[in-house]
Amino acid sequence: MYKALGIRWFLLLTVLPLAAGLIYALLYSLGLAGILGNGFTLAYWQSVFAEGVVWRSLGYSAYIATASMSLACLLALGLVIKLRTAFQKGILSYVIYFPLAIPAMVAAFISFQLLGKAGLFSRLTYALGLTESLQSFPDLVNDFWGIGIIFSHSLMAFPFLLLLFLGTYEGERLGELKQIAKTLGAGEGYISRKIVAPILLKQNFAAILLYFIFVLGSYEIPLLLGREAPQMISVLTIRKLQRYDLLDKPEAYIIALIYCVLVLTAMVISLRRSKILQKN
Amino acid sequence: MQKGFTYLLAALILLPFSLLLLLSLAEGWSFPSILPDAWTAEHWSRLFQLDGDLGQSLLLSIGISLFVATVATISGFLTSRFIAYSPFRERYLIMAYCPFVLSPVVYAACIHFFFIKMGLSGHIGGVLIGQLIIAYPFAVIICHGHWNERIRSMEQLVATLGGSRREAFQKVILPLSKGILLVCFFQCYLISWFEYGLTTLIGVGKVQTMTLKVFQYINEADIYLAALSSWLLFLPPAILLWFNKRFVFREVNVS
Amino acid sequence: MIHCERLNKRFGSEQVLEEVSFSLAERETLSVLGRSGSGKTTLLKILAGLESADEGEILLKGQRINEQSPQERGIVYLYQEALLFPHLNVFENLAFGLRLRRTPSPEVKRAVEEMLARLGLSEQASKMPYQLSGGQKQRVSFGRALIINPKVLLLDEPFGALDVETRSSMQAFLKEVSLEYQITAIFVTHDLKEALLMGDRIGYMRAGKLDIYDSKEAFVQDPRTEAQSEIEFWKRYQS
Repeated sequence: MYKALGIRWFLLLTVLPLAAGLIYALLYSLGLAGILGNGFTLAYWQSVFAEGVVWRSLGYSAYIATASMSLACLLALGLVIKLRTAFQKGILSYVIYFPLAIPAMVAAFISFQLLGKAGLFSRLTYALGLTESLQSFPDLVNDFWGIGIIFSHSLMAFPFLLLLFLGTYEGERLGELKQIAKTLGAGEGYISRKIVAPILLKQNFAAILLYFIFVLGSYEIPLLLGREAPQMISVLTIRKLQRYDLLDKPEAYIIALIYCVLVLTAMVISLRRSKILQKN
Repeated sequence: MQKGFTYLLAALILLPFSLLLLLSLAEGWSFPSILPDAWTAEHWSRLFQLDGDLGQSLLLSIGISLFVATVATISGFLTSRFIAYSPFRERYLIMAYCPFVLSPVVYAACIHFFFIKMGLSGHIGGVLIGQLIIAYPFAVIICHGHWNERIRSMEQLVATLGGSRREAFQKVILPLSKGILLVCFFQCYLISWFEYGLTTLIGVGKVQTMTLKVFQYINEADIYLAALSSWLLFLPPAILLWFNKRFVFREVNVS
Repeated sequence: MIHCERLNKRFGSEQVLEEVSFSLAERETLSVLGRSGSGKTTLLKILAGLESADEGEILLKGQRINEQSPQERGIVYLYQEALLFPHLNVFENLAFGLRLRRTPSPEVKRAVEEMLARLGLSEQASKMPYQLSGGQKQRVSFGRALIINPKVLLLDEPFGALDVETRSSMQAFLKEVSLEYQITAIFVTHDLKEALLMGDRIGYMRAGKLDIYDSKEAFVQDPRTEAQSEIEFWKRYQS
């Protein structure tokens, strides 16, 4: 009895909204729902595919997520390899947790205050005589390459990855593996590149991929630090949804659908391949 | 050498927080100066004005997050048990991961229509349900690993010793689950506390939680109040993690 | 005391128990030997009421108990792992069953102290489970069951996780207390020697079928039990 009730609650809160939302988006995109619902049409899908905005946006989102995760992984790996003990006791073992308590909105605001033209870095370069005015400081936010966005995401992701790697280091007994490698004649650099880094990355592949997906769909950070075009996928969807031109609405739902299908497929594949679903 | 680098790194990590604190206490900060022109406690005092919107937003945010975290944790804990022992466990878990990986704001865009139909759009009730739809599956993901063979054997042992299911739950399972319940509650609290996209969309900007406040101040170019409200967002989780690190850090691959 | 008649159990297409029948007299211990996966654990769980049989009848003191819940049967099932409640100390672990029965506190105190003395654990009363050794944990686990006077004790490889020395001292200990408390028990193991040592009678389980031997000699004579090859092995090193 309780079991049926529990499963129903789960389906009600998890499956029902998702299914309803995706079906509604599909109907809307086919002209079967909403204010413009005048009957079945493929016109919206055709115009989305013809325009190419979606693909540029997806490509841009993938670029941002790849760049952010690569930077964060490199930073976290480097620190775990070089400074592991410093993160296990002393000041860093506390301080490293603080960035995890920052919401994306605040991270974006911080990046703005650090990297913007009137930000702290600009003031420092001015004081050091490297720049002569506000204007001569380079565009690091709202810029073409998304430097501000990548900066924010890397800063949010690297402490998380670092703690993840520290856990794996203990769990996989990397210290002992390193000693074995040493007795076999391997040098420090070789061990880091061929043993420590591959094990840490491989064991945490699913977590890194999930974080990649988070960055791909992130909203607040590109909203504050991005440009008009190209836009990341979440920002583009919401912008299209809130435009006054009603023709944009079906396109917003098409973009949302494409994004959902891509992300959910990637998730299912990676979950099935990882250990997460296995019974303990 | 390594010691010096350690402190440098710690200082770098703390830099953003100090910057926000300075901003929230600044009365003006014109371009080339490295430090604010003058100091003031005025921004902070706005927090304590009874009719002030900042204090109200703070209370609203705390209320919403406490509600979402409580409901998500209790129901997630109880229902994850059925899921963990179900023959369709894997299927249910994949479903639970769906809302977890989707961008909340895009998800909200797809389901907003139904909130409008139910008259929940622009109301606090809509925001509560919307956030619950995100937080609850996450609670299931966190809790399901707790229901392992060991816990099951303990339940059975209590039964053969003569205890009812209710007694097994009260006297053994609940005491053994304190840790996971705390972690789950705190994680769900954070999801709600940090949430912006879904809240602004389903609340139509009318349910002014703290993240919306930060956005509003940034838009109005009031960086001092933006910094102050950023600090208020950061402070509660920071205090909790000072007492217990594991509350904040939780691997994504909870298993 | 306990009598089973033609128990059958299937999990999907797998026949886990096939026509299992046996009787057990009061104060008797039956050893059941068998490889892992032969259905021993399933048999015990069905007797305890944690699983249900597809067919067959279980009688306890002549009464059919198939439909009774585990709570009503008074049959305690013990796992290989001691499974002490980690949030309770040794005293409270022992007292658990009595507290469930709402036994008055002074009586609980008296019974637990007596049990502690019998288990040789009086010094450890206020320790938490993680502070105990493997053998001590297993003793507490027995005590926790014995204290409520179960009608039947089901032991599922209780010494499987212990080292050789602790194992033999625990075998002697269990032998002693089962005489003293006049226990009726089924003792499941995959260790030939342990089965002979602990049981008054011996059964052998293969692929869901249970054979009960009339005597220990008959058991040793049966080539399928591999007792003979064991004897041959040791003979090679004699004189």
